Amino acid sequence: MTAVADPYADAAARGLLARIGPLAKLAAPLPAMAVLVFARDLVTPLAFLAVAYLVIFVGARVSARVAALLLLGIPTGAAVIGLSLGLWVDSDLVDGTDPVLSVGAWSLYSGAVDVGLATGARLAAILALGLIAGLTTSGPDLVRATVQQLRVPYRIGYAALAAIRFVPRFGYELEVIRQAHRVRGAHGGRGPFAAVARWWGYLVPLLAGAIRHAERVALAMDARAFGAHPDRTERHLLPWRPRDTVFVLVFWAVSAALLTALFPWGL
Amino acid sequence: MSSAASGPTTAQAARDDGAPTPLLRVRGVSITHEGADAAIPASVTFDIAPGEVVLLLGPSGSGKSTLALATNGLIPQSVPAELTGTVAVRGMSTVDTPVARLAGHVGMVFQDPDAQLITGTVFDDVAFGPENLRMPVADVLARTERALRQVGLWERRGENPDQLSGGGKQRLAIACALAMGSELLVLDEPTANLDPAGIEDVYDALRGVAAQGRSILLVEHNLDAAVGLTDRVVVLDAAGRTVADGTVDDVLRGRAEELDALGVWLPVSTMAALALRRAGWDLPRTPLTPAELAESLEAAEAPVPNPVSAPPSGAPSIGGGESTAIEVRGLTLRRGRRTVLHDVDLTLRTGEFVAVVGSNGAGKTTLVQTMAGVIPPPRGAVRVDGADPARTSLRDLSRRIGFVFQNPEHQFIAHTVFDELAHGLRGRGMSDDEVRERTTAMLERFGLEGKGEVHPFLLSGGQKRRLSVGTALIAGAPILALDEPTFGQDRARADELLRLLRDLNETGTTIVVVTHDMQLVAEYAHRTVVVHDGRIRADAATADVFSDETLLRESGLRRPTLQAALRGVTRHPELASVTALRALGGGAT
Amino acid sequence: MTRTLLSTRVLLVCAALGVATGLLGGVAGAITPLVLAAAPWAYGLVLGSHVLPGIIAQQVFRLPLVALTTHVLAALVASAVNPAWIGRFLGTALLFGAIQEGVAALTRYRAWGVWRFFAAALLIGVVVAGVVFFAADLAALPLWAQIAYLVIALAGPVVWTAAGLGVGERLRRAGVARGVRAG
Ligand SMILES: Nc1ncnc2c1ncn2[C@@H]1O[C@H](COP(=O)(O)OP(=O)(O)OP(=O)(O)O)[C@@H](O)[C@H]1O
Ligand SMILES: Nc1ncnc2c1ncn2[C@@H]1O[C@H](COP(=O)(O)OP(=O)(O)OP(=O)(O)O)[C@@H](O)[C@H]1O
Ligand SMILES: [Mg+2]
Ligand SMILES: [Mg+2]
Repeated sequence: MTAVADPYADAAARGLLARIGPLAKLAAPLPAMAVLVFARDLVTPLAFLAVAYLVIFVGARVSARVAALLLLGIPTGAAVIGLSLGLWVDSDLVDGTDPVLSVGAWSLYSGAVDVGLATGARLAAILALGLIAGLTTSGPDLVRATVQQLRVPYRIGYAALAAIRFVPRFGYELEVIRQAHRVRGAHGGRGPFAAVARWWGYLVPLLAGAIRHAERVALAMDARAFGAHPDRTERHLLPWRPRDTVFVLVFWAVSAALLTALFPWGL
Repeated sequence: MSSAASGPTTAQAARDDGAPTPLLRVRGVSITHEGADAAIPASVTFDIAPGEVVLLLGPSGSGKSTLALATNGLIPQSVPAELTGTVAVRGMSTVDTPVARLAGHVGMVFQDPDAQLITGTVFDDVAFGPENLRMPVADVLARTERALRQVGLWERRGENPDQLSGGGKQRLAIACALAMGSELLVLDEPTANLDPAGIEDVYDALRGVAAQGRSILLVEHNLDAAVGLTDRVVVLDAAGRTVADGTVDDVLRGRAEELDALGVWLPVSTMAALALRRAGWDLPRTPLTPAELAESLEAAEAPVPNPVSAPPSGAPSIGGGESTAIEVRGLTLRRGRRTVLHDVDLTLRTGEFVAVVGSNGAGKTTLVQTMAGVIPPPRGAVRVDGADPARTSLRDLSRRIGFVFQNPEHQFIAHTVFDELAHGLRGRGMSDDEVRERTTAMLERFGLEGKGEVHPFLLSGGQKRRLSVGTALIAGAPILALDEPTFGQDRARADELLRLLRDLNETGTTIVVVTHDMQLVAEYAHRTVVVHDGRIRADAATADVFSDETLLRESGLRRPTLQAALRGVTRHPELASVTALRALGGGAT
Repeated sequence: MTRTLLSTRVLLVCAALGVATGLLGGVAGAITPLVLAAAPWAYGLVLGSHVLPGIIAQQVFRLPLVALTTHVLAALVASAVNPAWIGRFLGTALLFGAIQEGVAALTRYRAWGVWRFFAAALLIGVVVAGVVFFAADLAALPLWAQIAYLVIALAGPVVWTAAGLGVGERLRRAGVARGVRAG
């Protein structure tokens, strides 16, 4: 049971980004992310990483924890993943470059390290672009935006809102089920196979309880006329505003400019 | 998906008799759930007039919840079932009037408070219904405010409903129903999961609703709380046929013996009066409340011989032998960032029957789970039967203490009832024959013979509970700890289980029970431990705990109803210290 | 009342299945960086676990749209609780849900044979393999690793689909999913 912030709370973040609609923040980085999947050099992803960080630090009030994630967590993770990917790189592709490390017959070539780091940076950039929306959007706002702007049926949106409450409840249930099975001495033993067997045993009680609970919530919603009409009164309006259009267009323009300047992205 | 045989139409229903249309009209209703082979309820007939408060009683499985769901059309429109007869709200048949239309007339409050929360704040939750009806925003706001003020939650409108206590959540559910404009409020066991303070909270709100002139249909096992509010009582028999329908006086007073025999639960004062009558007391008017019981006792002559005589055989005497079953010393426990238990000391002797009580969130579950090693205790803080759970393997520990979780489904690990019981025996080098023999014996003992090959999840609630006790017992543990064993059970099942525990206790098993039911504690426990804010607030003989009014108030507890009634009786001092029904003689359970 | 394709009850049960499998899938999320770092060619096995919600929902209900709905609801809930990964949640959900739904739709929701589930699994394997192949630049790996990666990327969803079918079957035996029933 971790004390997470109230997932229902309205956009906690103040700052410029909080005033942009969730869908705009999701749509803006999409083209760049799509191209990044295929980019192979180090500079392109680093440039977009910089753009993403710039947008986040200017547009959102970043808490100390998030700042640590952005400035330490992501770079470290990218470097580790990148280097270890480098270990797996086919040496035939890179044996023209200088070896940086040799152990017996095996050498790590600088080319392999480059490939690994490029991949790490690429994954980090894709992640950071996604965080622009992630760090500045509240769950309910996302749901409202999908309902009001994308025309997702409101019944689905509100089912999702009601189901947010399932997360801590089922998490707690899972904890109790684990305790109970432990006490009963079910599937003792160590090692991955025993672990799989254990988790397998939790699944049916967890899902059975989950389904029953969901059915009760559904009755409570039906009893309050949920789904009676094709639409419902909305008190929190979340229209697509001109500033959303501007944000998306500017972001796309910047992406296009960067991509043009950096072509052919190491392909 | 609704496969309903349409009952008589609205027009016919309205023509039936000359009286003004009742708010709710139920005529010869029988309901067959999809896949079930018999109709339960089989035949129900009653009316609710505007402004009336009707209490619906019946043994477990008589179809009360099913009927409640039919009053606003959830059956058959959301839950597939076949309904014959008429259920009509203001003349509209609930079979073919959309639930959404009926929702403006009939509001529902269910048993599980958590299953009725939908949005992120108290305010939004109440507004949810009116919004679904597409009301203009101004109306939504006005209705929401009115409903929240009515149940006393207006000040907390901005909070996440998770922050409310159980009683608070139920009041919120009542507000949600009121905001829909409901003239009739249907409540299905709204207080089953609450501590005593929470129950009072809910009934305070309900009294306000009734005072406004709205009607209420109440399904409730806890009659002591409900009886003061009720105008009329409708009683179903086990098959779900109406067997009584009349005023509180007619039904609860006039036919108390009959209802008792049906297995329907009565106010504790009424049950006490029945027991006293059987023991020879002459109590002409059946009491329903503690005050009435005290009054009729003041007016009555004690029978000769008097089965209740000093010294009171009422409070079970302190049981337990010399040796120590569980010893807790200086136990402090943190969960997450909170310290849940503070420096707890507790000793249980073998053969005792101990109750652990306290308000919601006091730390009862944590305490008992730590004693049983479910939550690993710090080293040296707990001794179970001489062993430290922190250093003993779970398999070993499960032979010393059995733990029964609140929800039996959580602890089932096998696919058949037989394997579920046999699990505790296998893997200790017992021969297959011996396992089979002992498992079969256990099945018989718990009334589960013939269910051996059934999946545990397919048992009824009461059977599941017995199976979970059986699995804890079969390992031969001399100590048994149970977390709210009567939660979600009706009183008859609860009683059956408790008799079983008492029998075990009498043959030497040490029993620890966590519960909110004070009458249960008074009936069975030798000793009562009061937990408050993670500390042991009191630890004494049950009778002593219940005689300390300030202690009870401060810990959010209440006196058991019977004791509250009998304490006031001055004419028969020998009754004043009685807390348990069975101490009254007359063969009451 | 407007007759809708999916009742409130089916919707919420789908959401519950999504959340509950998501909790278990949280383990998968936690070990993803480890797997990527230690054995990138085995990532398919981890990613495959995301097929579970749709499979269990289809196995429980055998209704149109439940797979897609379950994935989308699970993603919305997950995004609300942990908004940082909104894009990832929604993307995976739409991809996996659409494929599972599409295969069921092609058989007009009549054939619920086991093969149908596995066909969807293979398709998911192919698509996922393609995307990850480029994103993680697996072309730079030695040939054996590429082959291992491809095989595992296909096997992952298949194995997890089999697991999902098993769970659905056991739920049915426990009497939980008999029709869509009230509690
Ligand atoms: N959805 C369902 N499908 C099939 N049978 C059901 C369903 N719900 C309830 N039943 C059965 O219908 C009968 C009546 O159940 P119901 O819950 O209405 O009883 P009740 O009077 O409310 O009992 P209790 O006092 O225990 O709450 C029971 O035999 C029950 O097993
Ligand atoms: N795993 C946990 N992490 C953090 N806090 C916890 C944990 N488990 C319990 N708590 C907190 O500890 C306190 C005591 O919980 P516990 O379940 O023991 O109470 P209880 O007396 O059994 O209440 P109830 O009558 O509602 O069952 C509560 O405030 C609860 O929120
Ligand atoms: Mg009921
Ligand atoms: Mg508890």
